[in-house]
Amino acid sequence: MMAIRELKVCLLGDTGVGKSSIVCRFVQDHFDHNISPTIGASFMTKTVPCGNELHKFLIWDTAGQERFHSLAPMYYRGSAAAVIVYDITKQDSFHTLKKWVKELKEHGPENIVMAIAGNKCDLSDIREVPLKDAKEYAESIGALVVETSAKNAINIEELFQGISRQIPPLDPHENGNSGGIKLGNQSLQAGRRCC
Amino acid sequence: MCSSEETDLLRLEEVFSTTLARTISLILQPLLLADPEPSDPCGKECLRLLQQLHESAQRLWDVTEQSLLSLRQRLYHPPSMSLEAVLLLNNADYVLQAHMEYIKSYTDCLVVQAFQKVSKKRSEFWRSQRKALRQLLSSGSSEGSVGTTLCQALRQPLAHHVQKYVLLLLSLRDTLDEHHPAQQLVMHAVTLFGNLQSFMQQALDQAMATQALWHSLSSRLRDVLCTPTHRLLQDSQDIPVVVTPLRAERVLLFDDTLVLLQGHNVHTFDLKLVWVDPSQDKCVLHILTPEDEFSFCTRDPQGQVVWQWKVTQAVCQALCGKKDFPVLGSGREPSVPPECRCLAYTFHREGRLYQATYDGEWSRAKPHGKGTLKWPDGRNHVGDFYQGLEHGFGICLVPQASEDKFDCYKCHWREGRMCEYGICEYGTDEVYKGYFQAGVRHGFGVLDSAPQAPQPFRYTGHWERGQRSGYGIEEDRDRGERYIGMWQADQRHGPGIVVTQAGVCYQGTFQGDKMAGPGILLCEDDSLYEGTFTRELTLLGKGKVTFPNGFTLEGSFCSGTDKGLYTQGVLDTTALPPNPSSTRKRQLGLGAFPVESRWQGVYSPFRDFLRLGCPGELQEALLGFHVQSSRELRKSQEYLCCERSHPKDCVGSMEDILKELLQHRKPKALQQYLRKVRHPCGLSWIQLLQTLMLTFQATYSGIGANKHLQAMAQEEVKQHARELWAAYRGLLKVALLRQGQTLEEESMETRDLQVHGLLLPLLLPSFYSELFTLYLLLHEREDGLYSRGIANLSLFPDTKLLEFLDVQKHLWPLKDLRLTSNQRYSLVRDKCFLSATECLQKIITTVDPREKLEVLEKTYGEIEATVSRVLGREYKLPMDDLLPLLIYVVSRARIQHLGAEIHLIRDMMDPIHTGGLHDFLLTALESCYEHIQKEDMRLHHLPGHWDARELW
Repeated sequence: MMAIRELKVCLLGDTGVGKSSIVCRFVQDHFDHNISPTIGASFMTKTVPCGNELHKFLIWDTAGQERFHSLAPMYYRGSAAAVIVYDITKQDSFHTLKKWVKELKEHGPENIVMAIAGNKCDLSDIREVPLKDAKEYAESIGALVVETSAKNAINIEELFQGISRQIPPLDPHENGNSGGIKLGNQSLQAGRRCC
Repeated sequence: MCSSEETDLLRLEEVFSTTLARTISLILQPLLLADPEPSDPCGKECLRLLQQLHESAQRLWDVTEQSLLSLRQRLYHPPSMSLEAVLLLNNADYVLQAHMEYIKSYTDCLVVQAFQKVSKKRSEFWRSQRKALRQLLSSGSSEGSVGTTLCQALRQPLAHHVQKYVLLLLSLRDTLDEHHPAQQLVMHAVTLFGNLQSFMQQALDQAMATQALWHSLSSRLRDVLCTPTHRLLQDSQDIPVVVTPLRAERVLLFDDTLVLLQGHNVHTFDLKLVWVDPSQDKCVLHILTPEDEFSFCTRDPQGQVVWQWKVTQAVCQALCGKKDFPVLGSGREPSVPPECRCLAYTFHREGRLYQATYDGEWSRAKPHGKGTLKWPDGRNHVGDFYQGLEHGFGICLVPQASEDKFDCYKCHWREGRMCEYGICEYGTDEVYKGYFQAGVRHGFGVLDSAPQAPQPFRYTGHWERGQRSGYGIEEDRDRGERYIGMWQADQRHGPGIVVTQAGVCYQGTFQGDKMAGPGILLCEDDSLYEGTFTRELTLLGKGKVTFPNGFTLEGSFCSGTDKGLYTQGVLDTTALPPNPSSTRKRQLGLGAFPVESRWQGVYSPFRDFLRLGCPGELQEALLGFHVQSSRELRKSQEYLCCERSHPKDCVGSMEDILKELLQHRKPKALQQYLRKVRHPCGLSWIQLLQTLMLTFQATYSGIGANKHLQAMAQEEVKQHARELWAAYRGLLKVALLRQGQTLEEESMETRDLQVHGLLLPLLLPSFYSELFTLYLLLHEREDGLYSRGIANLSLFPDTKLLEFLDVQKHLWPLKDLRLTSNQRYSLVRDKCFLSATECLQKIITTVDPREKLEVLEKTYGEIEATVSRVLGREYKLPMDDLLPLLIYVVSRARIQHLGAEIHLIRDMMDPIHTGGLHDFLLTALESCYEHIQKEDMRLHHLPGHWDARELW
């Protein structure tokens, strides 16, 4: 039996950039054998194979409105990865993204995998953020970057595959004896909030 | 027609009746008159015996007359009376009894030579009567003394008469044919009177031997030993024995006592408390008595056999309480005395039991079984004994100097000392409930001072050899302080926390009952003192104070009388507000008292119980019991009763409980089973749970309800859940083992799952009130801000609030006729999302964190359902939409102390859910809670200026 590793992934980005569309697309595209409970589009799970492990993504959506920004730390604490979404047709959303990255660097969990998703690439004719800018920025912070289209299902799989690859594999010893479930939570527990 | 034998019988009775009448008038009545008012005790004794003899002679005469009457009736009116109805045959035992009584009285007189003594008083009279006396004697002229003549005159007619009886009855039998209805009765009578002859012979022999014995003893010994009831059964002068280790030059076996003589010393042993033990050596016999053990050594095995038989039979006869009939040792099955006897005995030997009286069950010369031991000073032990010592449950009352004060120990005992669980109520009104070992407090126990003591206190914690040692809680009611920490040799020693009534907390290290070294002090106003302290909790020497606003003061402190706290130091006013986790929310005691070892003394008796395989009879000793108060006990005069669940019942019920346990192994069934079980001597871990509740209350209720102890309490509850799960598993293991099965190992994961999924929900109600109070206190400030936020939001009508929270308009449940009545838009406020709001409010109806999370999940479902109905299609809410709606619902649900609720749920949630659905649900709720606390929600920073009337 392959080890199932639970990975908490937090979605950040301005409201309207299509955070939840990306996840809906990702989760719905493939038939998931395990019908996992969800909370609308706010909390979803999907299990994908990665090497000899199974990665179960626990995807936490956040509210993108400015007024709720200060609540975000509660959501991203303990995350193994963060998907930060911007709208390639909105320069502002790319600015917000930069703020998120900065915050994660400062207050986020250590070794969090950051993936930047430039959504709505199907609307590249009204693009405001050049791909080059995004790539340069991503490189400077050591993050993954892809341009996606939730609408046309472009690069959605790749985005999460990229995250999977970035997750360091488990210690083989630990893998051997635990027979299966939940090993990805070391970081979750370590990230226990202080009041 | 009547046979000639019957006529002969009639004649015989006539003669005997006449003889008896003459004996009474000629001998007994004059004997009584010889010295009607004796002055010396010996004379009085003789008179009493003679009166007794006179009475039994009268009775014998009465019975003979009755017998005579029945024979006459038979003879003169044969049709009216059958042979079987004759008294002599019909009620031979009755006739026999009268004879035996007479023999008893007669031999009693014989033993003390009453006839000789009394006849001397009026010797002339007797000489004059000699002729008449001689007529009573059937044969031979006795030329002995008057005494001897009297003896014979009182005995011979009886012996003659009984002999005749036997002969006549035998010939009567011969006249009857085999099927005659009286045949059986005649045979019975023959046997009885035949036996009576043997009985009479033995009684006379014993009496003569006893009478003769007195002459061979010194007068001093005679005075001690000579009583009318004594009968000598065996004398070491006939069959010599050597006694070891006691020394005795002569051994006498009487029918009630065993007597060792050494010089003038007489050592008497009550036969009822003598146990005989044959030995390997054929010439040795062991005798066990309550205070002495010795051996008889005979010259040859035959001697040993005689002694052993005689002593054994004498013990049997003594225990039986009446003479063996017809002779010693005959007709009894089994012919060995019982090992266990129920008797009273007063100890004489110096020592623990000096002058104490034991009344109860004995075995092999030791108190063994149930009994009462009373000392002359009023000390009193009622309970179980084992081989001479208190062992098992017992109640011991020890009187105190003042009359009506007792120390009352209701304990389990082992080998004479208190061991395992007990309750001691002292004369001083102090009460100890807990464990003992070797007579002193050891293990877990609670000591309560007298309520009216000058410094009332309660100690709940561990003991070692009678002293407080280990982890313990002491509440000083006078000072309003509670100490939580380590003890050694009855003193506070090691890490400790002091919490005061005023809410001040101190943590530091104690030595010799006093604080020593550096420590911290958390004041009620959340200022933090770090430094060294005096006993009165004031800073002394170098230290630092952090004020709630972030100012710090560092310097050297001292305090003078009524001068307050003095310092010379540096005040830093530039620092940022302190981190709440170091001041306001600081948690004490976490590293100092590892939760695993905190209440070992409570868990370990249960572990012992499991290790021993759950012996029902030890359940009480190991896990405690409940008894009525000592005051009631003292009132009930005979301290014998004690309302406990009977240990014997527990043996059976333990079996049932374990069986039942096996039938409820499936999670659902188990949960229901554990919930409903309230067996009186119960599923033993209910007892364990009760003790744990007691410790929890002792620590965290009252003065201990302090926010700085929340983390300790929280981890303690979880530890209890783990331990109780282990306890359950232990019981299960024993139950399976009894059926020859083994318990499969469980993985860490399943264990955690059971602990959080099954045990915690089960336990939480027991600890909830104390625990939740701590959460309340810890989150008081946030909950206050939240309440104000809610209060302000409640001023908004529904539409304004939805607008204010930036809920997208198309999600508003307005004017939609498809909505159910709860969800329909209404001018009355608080009607939007009513179903979700009402659902969320149910969160406070349960203490189970899992159920609370389920409520939360349903609330989300309700929100989504409402929105889907509004939109007319299924709609998966992204967080951008969900969070504002959720804030709306939370603000309308107006749940009090939501912060405390959230944190309690989070702490008690199974860690397996971290990152999962439940974690998400709770985080979302928490973020709403946080948001509502924000300033723009609390203060009237409303978007735009709006008029309340505008809406209407």
